[in-house]
Amino acid sequence: MNLNTASEAVSFAKELETESAKFYENLAQRYAEGKEIFLSFAKENNKNIVQTERAYFGVISDAIEGCFSFKGIDTDNYSIETTLSEGRSYADALNMAVALEEKIVKFYTDAAEVSKSLMADVPQAFERIAKKRNERILKLKSLL
Amino acid sequence: MAILEEPIKGVPVIKNYIGGEWVESKGELVDVANPAKCETIAKVPISTREEIDAAVEAAQQAFPDWRTTTPLARVRCLFRLKELLEEHFEEVSRIQTQEHGKTIDESRGETRRGIENVEVATGIPSLMMGYNLEDIATGIDEYLIRQPLGVFGIIGPFNFPFMIPLWSAPYAVATGNTVVIKPSSEVPLSQRSIAELVDEAGFPPGVWNVVNGGRTVVNGMLEHPDIQGIAFVGSTPTGRDVIYKRCGETGKRVLAQCGAKNFMVIMPDCNVQRTIPALMTSFFGNTGQRCLSGTVLCIVGDAAFYNRFLDDVVDTASKIKVGYGLDESTQMGPVRDVKKKEKILRYIEDGIKAGAKLRLDGRKPTNLASGYPDTCFLNATIFENVTPDMKIGREEIFGPVMSVTRAKDLNEAIEMANSSNFGNAHAIFTTNGKDAREFQYRVESGNVGINVGIVAPMAFFPFSGMKDSFFGTLHTQGQEAVRFFTLSKVVIQRWL
Repeated sequence: MNLNTASEAVSFAKELETESAKFYENLAQRYAEGKEIFLSFAKENNKNIVQTERAYFGVISDAIEGCFSFKGIDTDNYSIETTLSEGRSYADALNMAVALEEKIVKFYTDAAEVSKSLMADVPQAFERIAKKRNERILKLKSLL
Repeated sequence: MAILEEPIKGVPVIKNYIGGEWVESKGELVDVANPAKCETIAKVPISTREEIDAAVEAAQQAFPDWRTTTPLARVRCLFRLKELLEEHFEEVSRIQTQEHGKTIDESRGETRRGIENVEVATGIPSLMMGYNLEDIATGIDEYLIRQPLGVFGIIGPFNFPFMIPLWSAPYAVATGNTVVIKPSSEVPLSQRSIAELVDEAGFPPGVWNVVNGGRTVVNGMLEHPDIQGIAFVGSTPTGRDVIYKRCGETGKRVLAQCGAKNFMVIMPDCNVQRTIPALMTSFFGNTGQRCLSGTVLCIVGDAAFYNRFLDDVVDTASKIKVGYGLDESTQMGPVRDVKKKEKILRYIEDGIKAGAKLRLDGRKPTNLASGYPDTCFLNATIFENVTPDMKIGREEIFGPVMSVTRAKDLNEAIEMANSSNFGNAHAIFTTNGKDAREFQYRVESGNVGINVGIVAPMAFFPFSGMKDSFFGTLHTQGQEAVRFFTLSKVVIQRWL
């Protein structure tokens, strides 16, 4: 599905954050060795939602191109896999988390890129989140 | 993406808010329809003369105490209102979409702009200060103080049901006046929501009143001796020939912000990638129903640039997704009602008859999401070869119709823009600072855009306008609103 509007982009970002938070909460229950870090990621996801919504609701205006800001973003390119079958190893879980983070980083980076000349505050928030999630990828890889 | 939940359920009967009470009107009830679904979502009264008189009386009775309430205490009510508006941000935004049809992005933008006016008005203890000078003659000092005047009438249009009364009301009450607001009877729900929050915020009874209705209410305001002034936003004929004229006859203060025919001048050196989305928002945002909308696209440059640029504009406009505004993917909602759609269609027919080239025909809403009646929907329409003698080239259409014209250079483009009777919000798109300055310097427009398609002044600047776009002296918003709602009293004192 192609995103048209800022409202859609923010809702999609929220969906990714919520889904991935559930994924990490699930991992935290299943893998004691990574519990702390997985829970911290889930918590941070909620902060990401708050930051994105704050940026959007703080600057949205009838004068800004809210309905025309996110041309070319197809959500099919950013679908994330959050189902981890029973009996998978901790390493499998970490690899899955890395793959998930890479998809989400790509969404935030692409969405920021197409919209930054129009709705400046929202793409800036997206870029900040992409940066934080890139750091997550390094952390996850260090646990492998 | 799912359709967002509608906050208005059932078919409520709207009451007036007078003297801190919700009062049932004795007037005839008319339907308020959601234009996307053609469903009745409320019934609004056409209030009687007695009811507007009662509201003015309540406001007049509240004035002495409110006037002597300290500015700090007054703005504490506004601080509470601001917090309540933030708490209900999404709800009031969705109400706008439900009653007006605009997209949810546009409604949220309107909510934000409205709240910003409340925020600015909370600065009244500073904004309302006068000034002084010692020793204008030896031992004699002179100073100016600003005092409220009494009851003000605020008359809102249909296109921004939430925001536009907030261009005036927060400043009026913060400076110590009381208000009677008449929302458009087509979209009364947003002002009802605000009044509910005003009530919760603890404004004293009678400071903020809302009376629904039509001409009877407007006439009641214009004729009532206790109304000190009127802030009006609406069409030029009504603003000029009724509101401005009659306020002049009865000695009321008046500001009347009216229609427009805004030129978007495209220079060949503009950043095309950034300009196109700005133009989509300008011409087709709010379905073209705003006085800041671009209406004439004036392309400067040779045929090659003209053709390339216009091809991009047409291609993008043809893909605008039309639908219900609570569907987050919708880029353009319906026009407010079928009569407005018919009027727009008449303009399109007129453009065809006058010889303009119909480059994009939006009369049939082909991009409409399934399940919605096409009653109030249109696609974007684009005409080429439009000249100022055509109706579509000179009159305000108030719909998603772009009229394209060409100019050989900037000078000709400015002359074209200045030939319009209106002067609300012309804009230029260029990367050349000298051309931008030349445009800003010479163009006859109260608001000027440079690489900005919707020149909507922030709450701390006046919403300017000139020629047939504005009648009065001081505008809404910011310091000009503070001056409009106050009397400047000058004191000269000598203590012997």
